[in-house]
Amino acid sequence: MAAGVRVRDLTVSFPTPDGPLPAVAGVSLDLARGQITGLVGESGSGKSTLALTLLNAVPAPGHVSSGSVLIDDVGDVLALRRAELRRARGAKIGYVFQASQNSLNPLKPVGKQLLDLGRSHGQRDLRAFLHTARLLMDEMGLDAERVLASYQHELSGGMRQRVGIALALVLNAHVLILDEPTTALDMLTQASVLAIIRKVHAERHLTTLVISHDMGVVGDLADRMAVMYAGRIVEEGPTAQVLADPRHPYTRGLLTSMPRITGEIKEARPLPGRVPDLASAPRQGCVFRPRCPLATDACATAEPPATVLGDRRFACYVAAGEAGAAA
Amino acid sequence: MTTTSALTPEQLQRAMRRSRQRAASRWRLFVNTPGRVASCVIVVVFALMAIAGPYLYPANLPIHPGDIYAPPSLAHPLGTDFEGTDTLALIVTGARYVLLAALIAAVITIVLGTSAGLAAGYYPRLAGSAIMRVTDFVLAIPGFPVLLVLSTIWRFSSVLQMGVALGVFGWGGVARAVRAQTLSLRERGFVEAARGLGLPGGHIIRAEVLPNVAPFIGMNLMLQLTGFIYTEVGLFFLGAVPYSTNNWGVMLNNAVFQANAVTSPRALAYLLSPLICILLITLALVTLANAVDEFFNPRLRRA
Amino acid sequence: MRLARLLAAKLVTGLVMIWVVASATFFLVLDMPGNPAQAREAQDILHGMTPAQAQRQTAAMFGFVPRQPLADQYGHYMWQLLHFNLGVSIAQEGTPVAHIVASAFPWTVILALSGILISFLIGVCLGVVAAVKRNTRLGDALTLGGAIVNGIPIFVIAILLFYLFTTIWALFPQGGNVSITYAPGLNAGYVGSLVTHAVLPVTAYVLSILGAWMLTTKASVVSVMGDDFILAAELRGLRPLTVARYITRNAMLPLFTILAIALGLLFGGAIFIEDVFNYPGLGQLMISSIATKDFPVLDGAFLLIIVAVIVANILADLTYPLIDPRIRDPRIRRR
Repeated sequence: MAAGVRVRDLTVSFPTPDGPLPAVAGVSLDLARGQITGLVGESGSGKSTLALTLLNAVPAPGHVSSGSVLIDDVGDVLALRRAELRRARGAKIGYVFQASQNSLNPLKPVGKQLLDLGRSHGQRDLRAFLHTARLLMDEMGLDAERVLASYQHELSGGMRQRVGIALALVLNAHVLILDEPTTALDMLTQASVLAIIRKVHAERHLTTLVISHDMGVVGDLADRMAVMYAGRIVEEGPTAQVLADPRHPYTRGLLTSMPRITGEIKEARPLPGRVPDLASAPRQGCVFRPRCPLATDACATAEPPATVLGDRRFACYVAAGEAGAAA
Repeated sequence: MTTTSALTPEQLQRAMRRSRQRAASRWRLFVNTPGRVASCVIVVVFALMAIAGPYLYPANLPIHPGDIYAPPSLAHPLGTDFEGTDTLALIVTGARYVLLAALIAAVITIVLGTSAGLAAGYYPRLAGSAIMRVTDFVLAIPGFPVLLVLSTIWRFSSVLQMGVALGVFGWGGVARAVRAQTLSLRERGFVEAARGLGLPGGHIIRAEVLPNVAPFIGMNLMLQLTGFIYTEVGLFFLGAVPYSTNNWGVMLNNAVFQANAVTSPRALAYLLSPLICILLITLALVTLANAVDEFFNPRLRRA
Repeated sequence: MRLARLLAAKLVTGLVMIWVVASATFFLVLDMPGNPAQAREAQDILHGMTPAQAQRQTAAMFGFVPRQPLADQYGHYMWQLLHFNLGVSIAQEGTPVAHIVASAFPWTVILALSGILISFLIGVCLGVVAAVKRNTRLGDALTLGGAIVNGIPIFVIAILLFYLFTTIWALFPQGGNVSITYAPGLNAGYVGSLVTHAVLPVTAYVLSILGAWMLTTKASVVSVMGDDFILAAELRGLRPLTVARYITRNAMLPLFTILAIALGLLFGGAIFIEDVFNYPGLGQLMISSIATKDFPVLDGAFLLIIVAVIVANILADLTYPLIDPRIRDPRIRRR
């Protein structure tokens, strides 16, 4: 299937006292059109930076040092001029913030901000635009009239999340990026937000990227999933396969550390150590090596290349060896 | 997904080294900013003047009737005043009153303001709004006119009296800042945790809240000092307070009103000396206050 | 409805504050050295008035009669106050204090308000520039300049301005509010003279708060620029002008707090400026009345200044809920 978003060899660096260090290192990822891709990783893995790069919005002083982000109908996002980039944001690519963040102007009612959005994107018929927005909100279970008249602080977390999704889609973007859509929401609201995401994705044939540290959310929503660690993608493939048969030691560790409803609690074993920050990641060899139970000497030499196994990829010397032996 | 939080010994060592490095780099940042070093020097010089000044000169400064308003020269580096007294001597001996009164006032405001702010912030429902009403009232009234009217009744001229008068009307700002900080600290986890452990309120305030409020207080202290210096010099300058000993405000009063220094370019040095001293110490204190703020508030530091 | 309740609460607080200050002033007058009221009464009797006449005279001058029970005196004083009767001046025999004070009031207000307005406009513009260009040399220079100007006390500014621009370079008149050679009225000469006499004092006012406006604006703009909703606005592709408006409106909020403080500082600083520039406002009135021991006038001027500051504070406080909808909402827990 033709890819909706193609990320190639992307590296995003931040200047540090020890020199420029990568928050995203050599990442290549395809987001297939019409599919939901999940991006999993702990805090500090670089997943939010990666998401922002898809809109060329890496916060200063970070910058993209190499790579490209090709989006259907838009081209290389990183090569767009400022005006084109602004038009693409919102109209071609929609970004949805976490519910806990204040993504709306606290001093203006939602409706007025919606109109600002329409005007900024050259919508001539603002009444029709508002009408579209109202329909979209009704679809999501919001009381459109009330919400449009409200200020941000008058909305609950779940409502804010839905408003965020509505704003991202009201201009008919075909790429949707959701950063932690269920964090800071209670379980019931989580379930309804996930249902909404599934619904709008299917109805509009979107290319969706869901970022989460919650494996459960990704397992529920995503068709494909990618696991990120210290700025690198360590494993990627169809969700069912990755969850059933994780190849990379990090993925295995993540899954083992989750307690299940069935089974003993002590079967859940946490990963030793913690996610490295920019400065403490090993400069040479596999970046997961310090925490890896399977680390060998080979792992210290250079970063492991991606091993392709059917529809999946993973970057691990040991796992590659296992896969080779099984073949 | 959970990870253990146990650190291996090497990780612990690395963390400690890094925090030492960070402290060292902050110190370097401070020292490498010439403005801040200069400010420290200025404050130290004036402090020395205040402490040692009067001992360097005889109690009654000599007058040179033949040398009135002399321009700066080798014998009188800053010229002389309307009686022929050396201006430099006047400046050095005048520093003590100004700085000591400001210090006394600052101590009073810090004590009063911090107690009020801590109480209002930590017990917002009981003591809080009552204290805040009083504080708001004290803050809303412009202090200077009040002190001016007060000066007609209570002739405060000694250092202690001046300090007390200034302090009693000046604690509003500190109280408000401390209260805001205490309120925000109270919301944070560790205060809740301490209360959950059953620690008494007084202990929590002293051991948990106060250390976090201390940098604020330090910063405020320096800003308060500048405000008080300005207020007391202003009071003397207007002639509202009788003077017994010489100080910078008195010099300004003499220069502008008695000697008409502002209308004749002759007595330039006599007019400018106290002005520049006030300027220097004020700017130095403000710079240092900013430095303290930046030190404790990493968001303000340049990348 | 919530708004109306806020308004009412602020008004009540303001009135209470005014009442407290008025009462305090009453007790201050009682405390003044040699209790001028009693002295006056004694003097009148010496001059041949009967005690009753002397009492009436003193009552007219001071607003109360000495040696009556305290409560009566206090009541009498407050009653007079409510009728805007502030007593009669000692130095200017027979002239009602209210009259003297009322003619001085406009001069102070004109200067102070011009000062606030001009310094607000300049300070906010410079602050925005300093924020937008904050890691460049221009931004740093502006910030440093603002900090320096902020630290200079108002009377230093006043003296320096006076010295530089009337003595060293005789560009402006040496004090006073208007030249007597022009007849009062809306003619070019009079108005022109008013303006030239006002330039230096207003400049002194402007410089004294300019630093505060600038630094606060800069800090506020920088803080708002880092807020999530600004990033969200950019990620939604809003026009740069719209984003700028979002930033501005949100960054203005803290400025209103400064406004209240600035008003207090200005009225306090009026005393210095009017003294140095010989400007016939309330500040100069206060100083001259101290010198001539004209306590009713001192009282009246003081009271008027305090009332003006309190009223200005209330007005500034009232504008806040109009701008920030979060304040209007009782659900938000605020400090």
